[in-house]
Amino acid sequence: MAKNYDNLAKSIIQDVGSKDNVNSVVHCATRLRFKLKDEKKANDDALKDTDGVVTVVKAGGQYQVVIGNEVADVYDAVLKEGGFPGGGQVPDDDVADDNSSFIDKAVALISGIFTDILAPLSAGGIIKGLVVLAAAMGWLSKTSGAYQILYAVGDSIFYFLPIFLGVTTARRFHMNQFIGLAIGAVLTYPTMVGLASSKTVLGTLFQGTPFASEIHTTFFGIPVVTMNYTSTVLPVIFAVWFGSVIEHWAKKWIPTVVQMFLVPALTIIITLPVAFIVIGPVMTWVGDAIGAVMAGIYNFSPIVAGVVVGALWQVLVIFGVHWGLVAVSTTNIAALGYDPILALTCMVCYAQIGVVLAIIKQTKDKKLKDTAIGAFFSGLFGVTEPAIYGVTLPRKTPFVLSCIGGAVSGAIMGIFHSVLYMMPSMGFFAIPAYINPKGGSMIPVIGVIVSAVVAFIVGFILQLIFGKKSVDAEYNKKQAQKVAEAANEATEVANNPIVAASENEEKLNPSTKLVSPLNGDVKPLSEIKDEVFSSGAMGQGVAIEPNEGVLHAPADGKIALVFPTGHAVGINTTDGAEVLMHIGMDTVNLQGKGFKTLVQKGQEVKAGDPLVEFNIKDIKAAGYEVTTPVVVTNSKKYESVNQVANGAVKVGQEILSLQGEDEGAKVSGQVQIN
Amino acid sequence: MEKRDFHIIAETGIHARPATLLVQAASKFGSDVNLEYNGKSVNLKSIMGVMSLGVGQNADVTITAEGDDEKDALDAIADTMKKEGLAE
Repeated sequence: MAKNYDNLAKSIIQDVGSKDNVNSVVHCATRLRFKLKDEKKANDDALKDTDGVVTVVKAGGQYQVVIGNEVADVYDAVLKEGGFPGGGQVPDDDVADDNSSFIDKAVALISGIFTDILAPLSAGGIIKGLVVLAAAMGWLSKTSGAYQILYAVGDSIFYFLPIFLGVTTARRFHMNQFIGLAIGAVLTYPTMVGLASSKTVLGTLFQGTPFASEIHTTFFGIPVVTMNYTSTVLPVIFAVWFGSVIEHWAKKWIPTVVQMFLVPALTIIITLPVAFIVIGPVMTWVGDAIGAVMAGIYNFSPIVAGVVVGALWQVLVIFGVHWGLVAVSTTNIAALGYDPILALTCMVCYAQIGVVLAIIKQTKDKKLKDTAIGAFFSGLFGVTEPAIYGVTLPRKTPFVLSCIGGAVSGAIMGIFHSVLYMMPSMGFFAIPAYINPKGGSMIPVIGVIVSAVVAFIVGFILQLIFGKKSVDAEYNKKQAQKVAEAANEATEVANNPIVAASENEEKLNPSTKLVSPLNGDVKPLSEIKDEVFSSGAMGQGVAIEPNEGVLHAPADGKIALVFPTGHAVGINTTDGAEVLMHIGMDTVNLQGKGFKTLVQKGQEVKAGDPLVEFNIKDIKAAGYEVTTPVVVTNSKKYESVNQVANGAVKVGQEILSLQGEDEGAKVSGQVQIN
Repeated sequence: MEKRDFHIIAETGIHARPATLLVQAASKFGSDVNLEYNGKSVNLKSIMGVMSLGVGQNADVTITAEGDDEKDALDAIADTMKKEGLAE
């Protein structure tokens, strides 16, 4: 951790043509990505020969210096050495954009933080929705154990959102992920949640002003305005960012021997009190102010209030200050028996999913379509987080369009004077809350339904008309990046852009799977001692420590090679993967002793057919390891090759998943490569 | 087109490790590089292709390169052959 990278940084900067030649530098998981004024000034060969530099790749207008896992530390050293402004870490598939505005960066940050948890978020949303539906229909009693368990299943990811976001945010600010997780966990610690609704009031800050806030506790005499941090987004992002600053600072001076526990200890013990003392009151006051302003507007005109509240609702939710309206609403219901303010917002979610439905119809991007379908169903039940963070917000325009739909929804509520008589549930489950328990006109309730339907239609149509560009643009950009990345990968092996380009024109293979050719234990390829295999130079794959001496076919295909000594067998699978299985390390030296081949080159085999018998005991007795790499030698033709099993496996059990690419990606991608 | 003959001296022939190194050397260049042995020709940028020939000790192989950097490609391959003690 405390290894000094100053000299490496110095020589990297010198070899990219001095710091005056650098426009900007960011980094991803393994590379420093420079934008240079003149790439010719860089000394490729000197860089490649530098100890600590794996290789150099030029792609997408970037001059990329491949470092490896230590890239974050090297990056920091490079910034220090060159005095460059920190562009920070970009996701691996991000082509950095210098001209992006603050809003762009904020949106990219927030949606980046959500990307990794979108799948469970959608799943939770749908489960939560179905459980609420089951309760509303009377299929499940709210007091039943089944309801409570299933509700917890659906709700936990939302309730404990700060914990999940703690991890992803920490990754973003390159700090220890589990410290990030710990920060999120403290924010949602039951005692802290309980404090927010505590009846014990120690005093009131700013009494008599709109910012009057009750103090429930103190921290060594400092008043702490507590709030309920569950389900919030921004507090944990702020806290983890602050924590990352502390962590990086602590790493600089704490001696390496005690860093392991002192750095995290110092980080969380400073970060969390500060977070509780600062974030609580700021969020509380902003929320209060918003509640007061909205209530004022409603008194002036319900329709104007509907437009404003409806348009801003989702923005308020993102910032976590929407609860100001919830507070106003609770007070109203207690004092007046009804609330008109929060009532404006309950159908805004249908504008959002109207937009999402249009995107499902528009997009060619399979991944986006998948995300959007999950987000749609989740949103149908009023859970819009997957839709906002996974679909509309990252593309900006669709999010703005959904806010316009929201404004229409709010305005309709204002027109119909729809008000809430109790705190609402989510989505259409909120409708019963609009029914006056004392009877009276049903028109306001019909207004709620009209509001939902119109919001949905407005969102859908607006997106169809005005949003297509943003979806396409995003798709094209992604494809261009994919192609650039694919080129990079090829280049890394080939070290030559010309080859990379020509390799790249070849079609990628379709996705497929490989099963284990051996009974034994699976481990990552990187654990093999032989560098030719462990480095992935031969291709990606896994290693298997066999406990039985029979090698089987990992898929249907044709035997491409049987090395004369029998220690290596290659198969070209029917799906286009080239798989090499190499029994043991350096076993070529055995000259075939202990190996018996059962197949010949050119022979067709089925997955699981025995290919080679070998004597583990004899091989080991001769002083060789039997660890068997199973590598996909044409890995370049896949977007990714992933190990899907670990530990003990049996022949025929799936071990590798080979991911191909969407069809059509190449064509649009190449046009857009720059 | 450039062409060069090699006599394989390595006891174990062109097995996995040398094949990978040769493929890596060849892949650095834009030229098409092929390996001929026993009347069969394979792409020297494909590990499976190279290994499928099962080139053993005392084999005579011919490597051809065609393209803008054909000469450099063959030099690099010859270099690898020598460095790894594969051929003379």
